[in-house]
Amino acid sequence: MVIIDTLSYQYSPRSAPVLDGISLTVADGALFGLLGPNGAGKTTLLSLLTGLLPCPPGRILLNGQDVASRRPATGLALVPQEYAFYLPLTVGENLTFFAGVQGLPESQIAERVDHCARRAGIQDRLQERAGRLSGGLKRRLNLAIGLLPSPRLLLLDEPTVGIDPHSRHFILETIRDLNREGTTVIYTSHYMEEVEDLCDRVAIMDHGRLLREGPLADLLVEGEGSLETLFLNLTHRQLRD
Amino acid sequence: MSLFRALIRKEFLLLSRDPHGLLLLFVMPAVFVLIMTFALQNQYAMNHETRLDFFLVNQDGGQFSAAFARELGAVSPFNRVTADAPETELRQRARADEVMFLVVIRPDFEQNLVARARAVKLLVAPGTSPVFAGIAEARVTELLNRFYLQYRMASLPGISAGALDTSTPLVDSESLFDDSGVLPSSVQHNVPAWLLFAMFFIAVPLSTTLIHERQQGTLMRLQTMGVSRARVLAGKVVPYLLVNLMQVVLLFLIGLYLVPLLGGDQLTLGSHPAGLVLVSVAASLAAVCYALFIAQITSTVEQATIVAAVFNIIMAAIGGVMVPRFLMPEAMRQLGDFSPMAWGLEGFFDILLRHGTVVDVLPETGGLLGFAALMLALTFVFSRRSASA
Repeated sequence: MVIIDTLSYQYSPRSAPVLDGISLTVADGALFGLLGPNGAGKTTLLSLLTGLLPCPPGRILLNGQDVASRRPATGLALVPQEYAFYLPLTVGENLTFFAGVQGLPESQIAERVDHCARRAGIQDRLQERAGRLSGGLKRRLNLAIGLLPSPRLLLLDEPTVGIDPHSRHFILETIRDLNREGTTVIYTSHYMEEVEDLCDRVAIMDHGRLLREGPLADLLVEGEGSLETLFLNLTHRQLRD
Repeated sequence: MSLFRALIRKEFLLLSRDPHGLLLLFVMPAVFVLIMTFALQNQYAMNHETRLDFFLVNQDGGQFSAAFARELGAVSPFNRVTADAPETELRQRARADEVMFLVVIRPDFEQNLVARARAVKLLVAPGTSPVFAGIAEARVTELLNRFYLQYRMASLPGISAGALDTSTPLVDSESLFDDSGVLPSSVQHNVPAWLLFAMFFIAVPLSTTLIHERQQGTLMRLQTMGVSRARVLAGKVVPYLLVNLMQVVLLFLIGLYLVPLLGGDQLTLGSHPAGLVLVSVAASLAAVCYALFIAQITSTVEQATIVAAVFNIIMAAIGGVMVPRFLMPEAMRQLGDFSPMAWGLEGFFDILLRHGTVVDVLPETGGLLGFAALMLALTFVFSRRSASA
């Protein structure tokens, strides 16, 4: 379970707060959608959750443990929006490397690599250079690396950006399967239909504040059947970039 | 699998997939050594600012030899460095490249000159280019012949200069390089010089991988996996240290086997290989930490490549890699004292040219390690600053 309690954060004492009194709870086994326009504070929130940024004490509890007291947080994995792996290495070499740095015993690495590659549907691509993969396969490799530590909490930062419908469908199905098997998922995306299709609870934030949080069904009612309508109403429709 | 083993293996894989990096680190210095060794074998040009500093020992003490000594000091480009010390000490100081030559006027100078015997001994310092040694010998011989002709024509009025023998050598040239008296060849200069140049060029592939890791989010991902930034940096030191040592082996092998095979002189390694290892490791640590610093202060691969190349070329130019420091004016030579490449070069020269021991290379090694520590400290300062920004 993730408990966030009146979390505020600013990068320097003089700058404006990036997060301003955020409070929310993500239950174990949830598939939680985190929405917000650019600059809403989603990435900062994920960075605080993963321990990339120093978290104020007592503001984020992860399975009862204060994230501030243990960096990086354990039992979770972040799948970043970027292709965060080595393009000159093969798919297999990348998976082996990331398994190795997490301290997996040598005897278990091959098995774990094979398992995660199958999970992401890239088991036939282990010998291919990552840089030569299509966008969809790169996204799946990105996901497979995130699955290596068998995380109980999976943070997915726009995992389907810029890929073909088949890969997108495959990734969404994989996430659903992982969730069914007990993995808690926090999912950020700009694709509202994906969140509607996938998530059971949703939070919408903007300018560092939580604007709405609740079951998907409730938010759909408020948006007259459309999460996008609610999102645009709450975030005032103006362009952000 | 241990964390470091995984990090080191990854660095080697990345480097092996980088043909441009391999070209820069191995092919470029090999080609430079070959080209410069042969091109500069006899081509170190004199310029009008070049000074041939020398000590003089007059074992004769007569008026004639004193006149010769005065004249020699006035002949361009000779510059007599006065030193009130016994010959053995001056020999040691010349061996340490304090001057380029030690000129010894032998006893019975006048009689030797008349008899066309070797009246002067020219001891060449190890760091002096063979071309300068040749120029010095020619100028001393020319002056001796002038003295000889003046003497003979004064003592035998009416004799023409053409009738006198001026071909018998009057100068004995010996190198202080080793006991055999053989002059060191250009390969002794070029192998260590271009080796250091190439070692510092690891800044390009190393900073490229680190910047890619930063830009692609890999570094961030590693941090979420519990791999600290310090560990990522430490994981780069070992592989690139090994790459540098492979460069050392490659270029020394070229000097030992390929250059002689192509008709050049063979590299002589000196008698204390441990000193070479010490200088190589210290230079490598300096180069790796310098590369980490470059990667830290730049944000794109293009920036890193340009900054690394510009600083490398400046360090090489003032450090005596491209132009030997003895060809430089004094101010430039002093500027070169600030270049880590000059420290490394002096360390290699201590062993390769001056037959020094491990103790002799300690000052240069200390300088290189100090530079490495400074670069590493600055890297962490900038790293913390950017992490908190």
